[in-house]
Amino acid sequence: MTENDNPSATRRGVVKGIGGLAALSMSNATFANAQAALDDPLSSDPHTADTYRAIVDAIIPRTPELEDELGPEHVPGGLDVELEKFLIWDFNHFQEIRSELVSDGLDLLDDGMSRDRFEVTLDLDDFDDALDALMDLADLDVLDDDLNERALSERLTFGPVNRYKSVFKDLDTDTEGPAEFEVTVETDDEQYQRVLGNYPYAPAFPLVFDLVAAEFLAKGNNHDEPGDYDFPGGGTFTRLSREDRLRCLWTIVDGGAVDRLDDLIEPLIPDVGILKFVVMAVNGLHGFGYYTEWSGYGSTKTDTPNDRELEVDEGEVQSRQQTNYPGPADGYAADWRHAIEGGFDDPDADELELSDDLTGDDVVAGGDA
Amino acid sequence: MEDPDVVVIGAGADGPVTAARLAREHGLDVLVLEAGPWHGNSKWPKPHADAGGTVSTDPDDLDGKLMDEQYTHREADANDPTWGYLRVGPADHSRAPWFRNLHQNAFIWQVSAVGGTTAHYFGNHPRAYPHAIDEQEHWPDEISYEDLVPYYQLNEEVTSTQQAPMTAAEEVFIEGAENAGFDKLDSLNVTDTGWRPQPNAIEEPGRETSNGEPLDADYEGSFSYDDGFRGDTLVGDHFQGSSTPVDAPVRDKARKSSNVGWVPRALDATKDPEMGNVALRPNTFVTNINTNDGIGTIEATGVDVRDTWSGDTETIEADTVVLAAGCIESPRLWLNSDLPDDGWVGKGLTTHWFDWVVGVYDDETVAEINPEAEHMDPYIGQNSAARFDKPGVGGMEDIGMSPGLVSYADYLFTEAGYSFDTPVDPDEPWDTRGYVVGKELKRRMSNYKQTKALLILTDDLPRKENGVSLNDSFSDEHGAVPEIKWEPHPDDDAKRDELSRIAARIHKEAGAEHVHRCEWPPLLLHMQSSMRMGKVLDANAEAKNVNRLFVADHSALANGVGGPNPTNSGQALALRTADRIADLYY
Repeated sequence: MTENDNPSATRRGVVKGIGGLAALSMSNATFANAQAALDDPLSSDPHTADTYRAIVDAIIPRTPELEDELGPEHVPGGLDVELEKFLIWDFNHFQEIRSELVSDGLDLLDDGMSRDRFEVTLDLDDFDDALDALMDLADLDVLDDDLNERALSERLTFGPVNRYKSVFKDLDTDTEGPAEFEVTVETDDEQYQRVLGNYPYAPAFPLVFDLVAAEFLAKGNNHDEPGDYDFPGGGTFTRLSREDRLRCLWTIVDGGAVDRLDDLIEPLIPDVGILKFVVMAVNGLHGFGYYTEWSGYGSTKTDTPNDRELEVDEGEVQSRQQTNYPGPADGYAADWRHAIEGGFDDPDADELELSDDLTGDDVVAGGDA
Repeated sequence: MEDPDVVVIGAGADGPVTAARLAREHGLDVLVLEAGPWHGNSKWPKPHADAGGTVSTDPDDLDGKLMDEQYTHREADANDPTWGYLRVGPADHSRAPWFRNLHQNAFIWQVSAVGGTTAHYFGNHPRAYPHAIDEQEHWPDEISYEDLVPYYQLNEEVTSTQQAPMTAAEEVFIEGAENAGFDKLDSLNVTDTGWRPQPNAIEEPGRETSNGEPLDADYEGSFSYDDGFRGDTLVGDHFQGSSTPVDAPVRDKARKSSNVGWVPRALDATKDPEMGNVALRPNTFVTNINTNDGIGTIEATGVDVRDTWSGDTETIEADTVVLAAGCIESPRLWLNSDLPDDGWVGKGLTTHWFDWVVGVYDDETVAEINPEAEHMDPYIGQNSAARFDKPGVGGMEDIGMSPGLVSYADYLFTEAGYSFDTPVDPDEPWDTRGYVVGKELKRRMSNYKQTKALLILTDDLPRKENGVSLNDSFSDEHGAVPEIKWEPHPDDDAKRDELSRIAARIHKEAGAEHVHRCEWPPLLLHMQSSMRMGKVLDANAEAKNVNRLFVADHSALANGVGGPNPTNSGQALALRTADRIADLYY
């Protein structure tokens, strides 16, 4: 049930002016599984698309094994409705950066938001491995004692990404309004370029997840051996088994991964601290996407909200067939009753007789007045 | 309105209540400024696509059929935190939401719109537990529970608050609660432990139906107001805006969110020559509170605003300013306005340390309790029609919702990690805990119609470490963005554990075949007390350090009211604050 996304004029509202284009070459056969993403002018680069695909696959997989138990409608999963696009859209529409609030960073007394913080160029071509490139970007010669540099360097890969660049596009700090970002991802023989109207979190987070996954493996926290799991566009993160991908994300919330890795993460996103919130969202968005009517918007599902149109009735989308929810209604004929005949016993204030002991049954002392 | 007596900042749960009281009872001219859109007003036919009008003062501008169109009842369309029509962000849907910096596994759930977060609430209107007003040291002595009761009663009358109708899901809850040995409570003034129907701000179901027959399982008539239907239609879509009965005028929608219960009443004042005037401007973000330097203390003189569509700014003067922007934006605006901070502005935020305990039932069990329905059908009936109270510890609510929200709340929001790696203590009464994913998630969701959850509402107390401050990394067009932090106290954890065990017992006593404890991380939904009386405010809810500046939203509450949902208490206090404003200055 994969929708065929056709480019249309209405899409321009979402991603302001898609610059350049998706695939300059489609010769690399290892990307066969990312074909759908490549065909879509709104698509992300394969590293981004396959990282989110690997998460969707871990949380709402295809489950042929449920066919006998629950029926054939329970076989398809999140990838069958391209749920990764839902995650990518939401993260790319998460935070607007205003041009007039960005400081060029030369004037130390300027209290605006420093331009440096929002721009990143990660070049892998000039380095032996991905960790070296990242350390150079972070301006680090050595890592903290609790990080095993050699093990990290053996594990860390951003997959086919040779260069990741995310910069303001034509920033004019004298003009009020949302700034635009230009994101470029280069692989050996391809270049992906997009212009986005908000901070491009969606392609930035996968780089972080690869780094966290490398540390996860370096510390031996994986339960399964890493391998090829059908997401060739991804990096270290997508080489983890389904459950290990989720265990790895959880080390961001509960495991101190962000604290240990903050020096390395810092250049990649404007604020390391939000990553715990992001892990909440990565999981929770499956509820807002998959189990709602979202997939029913079909070819319009990543348009601006005003331009989305339901193409499949909200009671008929894939997830609704799996939950037996009929969709919204104007009303329901159902038996009901009140439990207290005549309503609550509610005297006027001057007749109020409260008991002497109002402290409740089991007051636990606490708080700080 | 050129020269308002009072400017109210925010048209959420409490701002319209304050405005209506000031205009109706005290004859004052009130301008209400709301940062978000206005749904169901003919001056803004496409509130998310273009700027529409500027101001509305006329109740005839309200259009219930337009509201039906705008509130599509679809889950993602309504509730997606990035693009839903009920989100915190500019009305313009091509723009991102307003950023809040949150360094936690946590979720903030608010709405910027006329009606505020009551646009997506269940209508639950319990009163505070009396002990939380009379016996907790945070609460100022000048206000007793008894003082609040007349305001509760007025609010309950205006909002049609009454006991909720019990449908199939609640029958199962009652079975469990009674089997577990809990008695029914008959009072709105709760001092004992037990269960009761929710007091909900929703008109009685089918007060009049389209064919004159009662609304029950045999009803075959229409649910349209135009066909004669009045009252609640038993749809569990309140988190999507709940624009029912369809075709009804805004004021006759069954659920009295503040845009339905209080806004029309406020606008009515403008048409009555005996009363003051009320004007309401949506899409207007207040960026600064202006003050005059007085002798000793400063005094509020008005506000600076910014139109969220055009970016145009202006200054509005008023004799009195009322902050009702909510527990996050009220302290943020205070701090961005450089008003004096004696250390408590934004601090002491309470949120009710929620948890969520899920029961999955088999068909036979439900059919036995409920032979007519055989299913619980969590989307039928009011979203939350029964509750359990344990003053001193907190309470819980029986909840039904549509499946997107259920999947998120039941299985995809936790602080316990993934259930495949999260062991369960054999002495605890739940079978699993944490995230449920993969095959198991699909299995559980396939049983959606026989699944329901109990929401735990723990009586967390205000602590200075929790709250709202200005973030030093990010600014938006309205100033430094808010940074929010909330962590539970160990005592809060203990109360939450106790309530979760009771919830699991109620599920099991009703015959649940599987009980799952979610162990939610902080869900900042029932926020209170970030500008609380006794610290930032005096007992009139006037700022201690700024004269003629009042706070009339839930941030003025001195604590978390013991655990019950705060809307009724916030609105009751706002009514009292309006009276205090009039007494002091007019």
